[in-house]
Amino acid sequence: MSAVDPAQVGDFTDQQHDDVEQVITMSTSPVPLLSMRGISKNFGAVEALAGVDLDVFAHEVVALVGDNGAGKSTLAKVIAGAHTPDSGLIEIAGEPTSIPTPSAARTLGVATVFQDLALCDNLDVTSNLFLGREVKRGGLRDDGYMEATARRVLQALNSRIPSVRTPLSTLSAGQRQAVAIARTLIGEPRIVVLDEPTAALSVGQTAEVLTHIERLRELGLAVILISHNMTDVRAVSDRIVVLRHGRNNGTFDAATTSHEAVLAAITGATVRSTPRLHALR
Amino acid sequence: MSTDTNLAPAMPSGEQARIPLSQRLSGLGGNARQYGIFAALIVIILLFQGLTDGRLLKPDNVVSLFQQNAYVMVLAIGMVMVIVAGHIDLSVGSVVALVGGIVALSITDWGLPWWVAVLLGVAIGAVVGAWQGFWIAYVGIPAFIVTLAGMLIFRGLALVVVSQTIRVNDDNFNSIVSGSLPNFLGFSGDMDVVTLVIGALTIAAFAIAQFRARMQLRKHDLHVEALGLFIAKLVGVAVAVGFLSVLLSLSAGGMPIILVIVGVLIVAYTFLMGRTVFGRHIYAVGGNRPAASLSGVRTKRVDFMIFVNIGALAGVAAIITTARGGAAVAAAGQNFELDAIAACFIGGAAVTGGIGRISGAIVGALIMGVLNMGLSIMSVDPSWQQAIKGLVLLFAVAFDLINKRRAGTS
Repeated sequence: MSAVDPAQVGDFTDQQHDDVEQVITMSTSPVPLLSMRGISKNFGAVEALAGVDLDVFAHEVVALVGDNGAGKSTLAKVIAGAHTPDSGLIEIAGEPTSIPTPSAARTLGVATVFQDLALCDNLDVTSNLFLGREVKRGGLRDDGYMEATARRVLQALNSRIPSVRTPLSTLSAGQRQAVAIARTLIGEPRIVVLDEPTAALSVGQTAEVLTHIERLRELGLAVILISHNMTDVRAVSDRIVVLRHGRNNGTFDAATTSHEAVLAAITGATVRSTPRLHALR
Repeated sequence: MSTDTNLAPAMPSGEQARIPLSQRLSGLGGNARQYGIFAALIVIILLFQGLTDGRLLKPDNVVSLFQQNAYVMVLAIGMVMVIVAGHIDLSVGSVVALVGGIVALSITDWGLPWWVAVLLGVAIGAVVGAWQGFWIAYVGIPAFIVTLAGMLIFRGLALVVVSQTIRVNDDNFNSIVSGSLPNFLGFSGDMDVVTLVIGALTIAAFAIAQFRARMQLRKHDLHVEALGLFIAKLVGVAVAVGFLSVLLSLSAGGMPIILVIVGVLIVAYTFLMGRTVFGRHIYAVGGNRPAASLSGVRTKRVDFMIFVNIGALAGVAAIITTARGGAAVAAAGQNFELDAIAACFIGGAAVTGGIGRISGAIVGALIMGVLNMGLSIMSVDPSWQQAIKGLVLLFAVAFDLINKRRAGTS
């Protein structure tokens, strides 16, 4: 089952590449694609986010890290339109905006892969990619068009899915993650939010997903990667934004910052490097 | 047949042989299950044909098989949609009694023309469905509880409406079930030509639809069934439909009107489930409700609509039941919900939702119908009939489950 036909893998031509580039039209202005200022969100007495700032530019992967309960997923859900912030400003490509619902987020070009993969096991790959935004022609589903697009998007990600008609239930965890990421590419997104995309994946599958994330950056998207795994974060991200207790706790350049400095910011330790932090690795 | 030659070069036998058997079987995918259920139906028909010394497939028996089981097929169509969405509807039997009573009253006491009464019946069914759909979709009460309540509510209302048996003496109305299409094309030998023409058209339509689907797959470079299997399927359906048409054309009346009605419903709903966005959303809601909701599927609306739909279909079943009996009784529709649910599960629907097909539910209904009729012809005690049907339901689902597990581990 897991054997992959070599002919279907990796023959991603420049022509197809161009097609995808055209589908995903990017603005490469110096203005951040997504800019959030002073975002706060309370759940009853619990202060999930308290004045968080976040900037993400096109062609950039920003990692959002923090301990459990630091507010990463809440912030992701605010960006995805699943939660409305209690206060704060959101600008997309310089335009002040609000994201009241998931479908509003989609219209604004924000696509999200949630931690608990929002996929339907009983449907095939194409159906999942287009779920909730099926393309119609004359009142009926245009399955042919959707399948063709599905294949193009999967190829753009260099993903190894045998067929777009494969039911999700027969795919591996890594392949499902690829489908979830490919889903974000349907409908001209500008900003992609990935909530723990490598959780529960094997080493090989993780590597595959990380390549997909790099492809998203190459395609010119602004990518927000939420992760626990510092190795993954350092492998793909350009900047690392640390959240702690619902507040910003430092932004680091991924290429130059030491592992320990980031860990210290996550745990709130003021000292840079201790043996205990090494042990945490 | 020229299309065959077009297809042949694309499927060279050499290429076929290279694919390992396991992969070819897995390529068969969901279809294997579908073929299995059809095979089971044929085996059961042949078994009873033998056991009843050929009486099962006497033309008039085949007609009454459809007349007796039309209500199950109609309800199973609605029920499989409800089950696919992850719900259940226990109230359809009571709704049949209530709507049947109102339809009968509207003809006898209010003097409505029969066709207005029919429309009224479907409309009342839809309203009842909307009532239940509201509680399920927008208040969030589990369908099991809402429809269990509905089962009591509507049976109670049926007892109020139908205090005593209401006879319906309208021939037009009653011929919905007992009538046949007029044979304006005359006879060919003993065979009713209208029936034969309908059979031929059905075969042609099926073949064209299958060819177009296959061409579509091929155009998009997608996996298609092996040509042999494809042709076997076409021939199988052609033989089955052809045989059925000949049997029906030899019956006393020819083509039963009820079969035309059920046939139209089957085609329409297969299309709805298979080709429309709404159909896709029903499967999505049953497969992963939170995911569907996050993806922008209006899950509440889907839930609401499938209950409005099964309500309307329960209205149709009520009309069928009343017309068949020529009267409405408060006890009508007893256990209808169980017949419909059994048909869906025999037909391969999953208890957990997300999986199930109209065609499967119809075949499930036919399997139960043939069992009923076969056992009745053999004059088996009704108590034993019930026990046997229960076992068939259990074994069918167990067989399906074991098959799936084996497929999962290999």
